[in-house]
Amino acid sequence: MLLHVDQVTAGYRSGPDILQGLSLDIEENRTYCIIGPNGAGKSTLLKVIGGLLTARSGSIRFRDEEVTGLRPDQLLGRGVCFVPQDPSLFPKMTVRQNLVMGAFLEDDKSVVRSRIEEAFGLFPVLAEKANQAAGTLSGGQQQMLLMGRALMIKPTMMMIDEPSLGLAPQAADQIFETIAGLSDLGITTLLVEQSVERGLNVSDWAFVLDLGQKRFEGPSDEILEDPRIGELYMGKAPRIE
Amino acid sequence: MIQILILGLLLGGVYALMASGLTLLFGVMRIVNLAHGALMVVAAYVSFFLFTELGIDPFLSLVVTMPTMFLVGVVVYRWLFTRLEGTDRYSEMTVLLTFGLALVIEGLLGYFFTGIFRSTSPGYATNSFIVGDLFIPRGQLYGSLTSLALILGLWLFLNFTKTGYAIQALTQNRTAAQIVGVNVRRVSTLSFGIGMALAGAAGSLLSYLFTFFPGQHWQWIALLLSLIVLGGLGSLAGAVVGSLLLAVLAAFVSNWLGSTWSPMTFYLALFIILLVRPQGLFGEKETV
Repeated sequence: MLLHVDQVTAGYRSGPDILQGLSLDIEENRTYCIIGPNGAGKSTLLKVIGGLLTARSGSIRFRDEEVTGLRPDQLLGRGVCFVPQDPSLFPKMTVRQNLVMGAFLEDDKSVVRSRIEEAFGLFPVLAEKANQAAGTLSGGQQQMLLMGRALMIKPTMMMIDEPSLGLAPQAADQIFETIAGLSDLGITTLLVEQSVERGLNVSDWAFVLDLGQKRFEGPSDEILEDPRIGELYMGKAPRIE
Repeated sequence: MIQILILGLLLGGVYALMASGLTLLFGVMRIVNLAHGALMVVAAYVSFFLFTELGIDPFLSLVVTMPTMFLVGVVVYRWLFTRLEGTDRYSEMTVLLTFGLALVIEGLLGYFFTGIFRSTSPGYATNSFIVGDLFIPRGQLYGSLTSLALILGLWLFLNFTKTGYAIQALTQNRTAAQIVGVNVRRVSTLSFGIGMALAGAAGSLLSYLFTFFPGQHWQWIALLLSLIVLGGLGSLAGAVVGSLLLAVLAAFVSNWLGSTWSPMTFYLALFIILLVRPQGLFGEKETV
């Protein structure tokens, strides 16, 4: 098992618990999708696993090592990276500098250079804009840069929060095409996505969260047909075209 | 006219050093360090006593004040500021904390050294170079060149070292810096130390360029805030340009209207910039 989340409770500052004793297991080299209505705790879960938020109780184990409460840089050193939904680029740095920052923990400059070329190969538009300030890119290009930057450390597990948020359909398609190919690179993906159908289509397994707890889980293609999804989101069965 | 410009630029160079530490701290940690002026005055006292007791030149005392103030900064940050991390009103609390720190420093300085006006008096402090009809005060020239050298060093550090990149990253996006593996607490501590070291250097220069006393730090912090607001909070280039511009402007005002009007220039400029371009010359408008 790659990741074991056990009875985790977490919340923001002095606020109430957002996660309420949540548990889940992640196997290596698979793509997972976390779905659930607003306020279910999806993004909070990723932040807790990624070290941006400390769990109030419970335990997180990565490759059988206790990692609860570790800082993001310590988790990154173990191959756990996070692509948040908030704009998290360095807007005044160029595209290339952002990619270099993605490999902040890597000291070998030749490795950094070759990974930049790999990122440019994956997202050719970034190569064209290598010397442009990241803050001037379009929403889709920024998302590509975020993905490219996250790949700079050759992560074992990548957590991606709402990658299609605010993107044009064509740009979102391109991002999801990349996500679908991450398992071929040996990367385990934990994806949070509001667009349920899109998220389930690229994943192998899904967790359904509500009010800070895991309601149920299963193969993504089965979850899509599960009537409980419709009840959870709209109080009725989903309309699937 | 040229003479006034020269005097303004020389003084502006020293102001730039004073403002650079303050703007660095705001850029990296969003801390408006109201104790910056008080810490400068502390360093001025260190230089003063090194000069009067041991005969050490204020420039040589930089070797003492900068590392000492760096360590003070590290201890103060670790001891006081990390306790506020994660609180709902971090920025507001740091303003209160630095305000309190400034009062404590002022009280201690007043207790130990009284309110007497002091100043070191190395030989060059009162000498000038004469170039044609112009005179260039040696003390101000040395001070300004030292300031610009230190600022250049800071710029090179920020732009050509991995730690410098980490500091820039933290300035631009704290969460993103965490995500790419920057140890935020360590880099923040280092930045605070650097900011204090710059205050230390500024204090050493202050010790012979101006007279000083414990309560004088309020005048300095008010002036420095106007400089970094003009330049754009958090911008090193802004701090330099803002300092040079306002110092030159103040020099002309002093010449035309008299020296009592010179300090007013800074506060008037502060009001105008807040009305016309609140983000400052090099700052960017924040969007919601």
